[in-house]
Amino acid sequence: MDDFSRSIPRKIGLLKASGEDHVYDRETLYDYMDGGAEVYLAFDFRQVWTRKYSMPGGKELTVDVYDMGSPEEAFGIFSCDREDPGAGIGQGSEYGFGLLRFHQGRFFVTVMTADEDEEAGQGVLEVGRAVVKALGPPGPGPDLVGFLPRESLQPDRTSYFHGNVNLNNRYFVAGENVLGLGRSTDCVFAEYGTGAGERGYLLLIRYPGEERALAARRSFLSSYAPEAGPEGLARTENKKWVSASARGSFLALVFESPSPDWARKLVSSINFPEK
Amino acid sequence: MKHPLTRRDFLKGTTAAVLGASLGFGQDSSGAKKARVVLVRRRDVLDENSAINPDVLQGMLDEAVMKLLDETDPVKAFGKLVKPGETVGIKTNVWSYLPTPRELESAIKKRLMDAGIAEDRIGLDDHTVRTNPLFVNATSLINARPLRTHYLSGMSGCIKNYIMFAESQPALHPDSCADLGSLFKLPMVKGKTRLNILCALTPQFHGRGPHHFSRRYVWSYKGLIIGQDPVAVDTIGLRLIMAKRREVLGKDQELPPVPKHIQLADTRHGIGTSDFNAIELVKLGWDEDILV
Repeated sequence: MDDFSRSIPRKIGLLKASGEDHVYDRETLYDYMDGGAEVYLAFDFRQVWTRKYSMPGGKELTVDVYDMGSPEEAFGIFSCDREDPGAGIGQGSEYGFGLLRFHQGRFFVTVMTADEDEEAGQGVLEVGRAVVKALGPPGPGPDLVGFLPRESLQPDRTSYFHGNVNLNNRYFVAGENVLGLGRSTDCVFAEYGTGAGERGYLLLIRYPGEERALAARRSFLSSYAPEAGPEGLARTENKKWVSASARGSFLALVFESPSPDWARKLVSSINFPEK
Repeated sequence: MKHPLTRRDFLKGTTAAVLGASLGFGQDSSGAKKARVVLVRRRDVLDENSAINPDVLQGMLDEAVMKLLDETDPVKAFGKLVKPGETVGIKTNVWSYLPTPRELESAIKKRLMDAGIAEDRIGLDDHTVRTNPLFVNATSLINARPLRTHYLSGMSGCIKNYIMFAESQPALHPDSCADLGSLFKLPMVKGKTRLNILCALTPQFHGRGPHHFSRRYVWSYKGLIIGQDPVAVDTIGLRLIMAKRREVLGKDQELPPVPKHIQLADTRHGIGTSDFNAIELVKLGWDEDILV
């Protein structure tokens, strides 16, 4: 990561690096983040390199380059929190209101300024374009994303993660870790159009083994849908349906389904890998 | 098995009962003395560029502390909190995007000095409170920080502001920072907090990942939430954040996931009350879009 201090220019257009660069690892990330370190530590985070740039007029922006260990993990942290339009930087990106987020290879990058005028925004994008050149080639996304049914899948709304903290920030399910999520589990959360502008959600989880998947299904149904029958389907208070289906080491949960059949069809369309 | 808070509790409209009394459906508080929390707002405390008018802010602090302690003079009110000869630590917050405003720190410091505290016996610190002699030797603490959401604990308020007193901050992070209330039982802290000031001049109601800040998620509320009970102060702060999220993000995102530490500070650690029915919320000043 220290190489970035050399490979990322200290002067980019009118922007100049200010202060010293810093590197934080899994042990020291807490020194950099106010409690949010867990969100990164739930992934295979290795290190973050950080630098500040100052702009004419005293505006300042911060660059964080996170080594997430693999392209899959870099996609994951990027994918958990998307709200803005793409910026055309790196493998995937978004920019809005002074915040640029993108991923490239095993790196996830944020460039942020608290000054959200056009000049500051241009500076953020300029720095992003300079940083991506130092990050090497793109890499593959998580295989789990490829298992998702394609029909009605909402683009750019799929998230990949491992832990409960990421799930709850994406879609609040339960205050406790009722699904037994952690570093050993892989999850994708995807949105689907159900008609009339409404959305249904699929959470697909891969556990280390079949027993874990079955135990998680039992735990989920007990906490979330105790009235569900053997099929794992229950009608929720908003007149939608929730379902929980285990297959091998996978658990598929459908939320906000307009009908039992919609949930069944979505689960049956999952491209589970051959054994 | 105890029922965990789930999304369905939102759908049923029973989040309040599960989250606890934070939202007003808590223990039977009839007859008990209520924890007073003062919310003071002034339209002119911020100008159009969000610059703070220090005189107005000083007036807000004075007004709130006088009301809190039933005093008519701000110096006498602060004199009820601290005594000459004491060493006082002002636990501030230095998060670069939304720190405790310098003007607020100065206003607190001024009144402490007016109340007889020597300037060289007043500490002002965040990250190094554990080794700062003025905090190590402090006999009183003032807890002052801005109100904002937090990616892990749901909300950063007065309870969470004491995390820098912990030997291990990560040890307090599991389960959405459930046990932050334990911080108030640490020897450096226990029984010393005289005043909790939740700065709601420009609260942040949403964030995009850890340590994210964007002006689109802050608003000029122009308020201070002040009390002697940190849990009661944070309970009001949470209600404000939830009201703003409901207004801007919709009911589905009303609750920042998952601020359980506020209720647990009450029910597990006993350091204050999260029962809205046991809180006397006094509102002073500007009441437009007050939300709580």
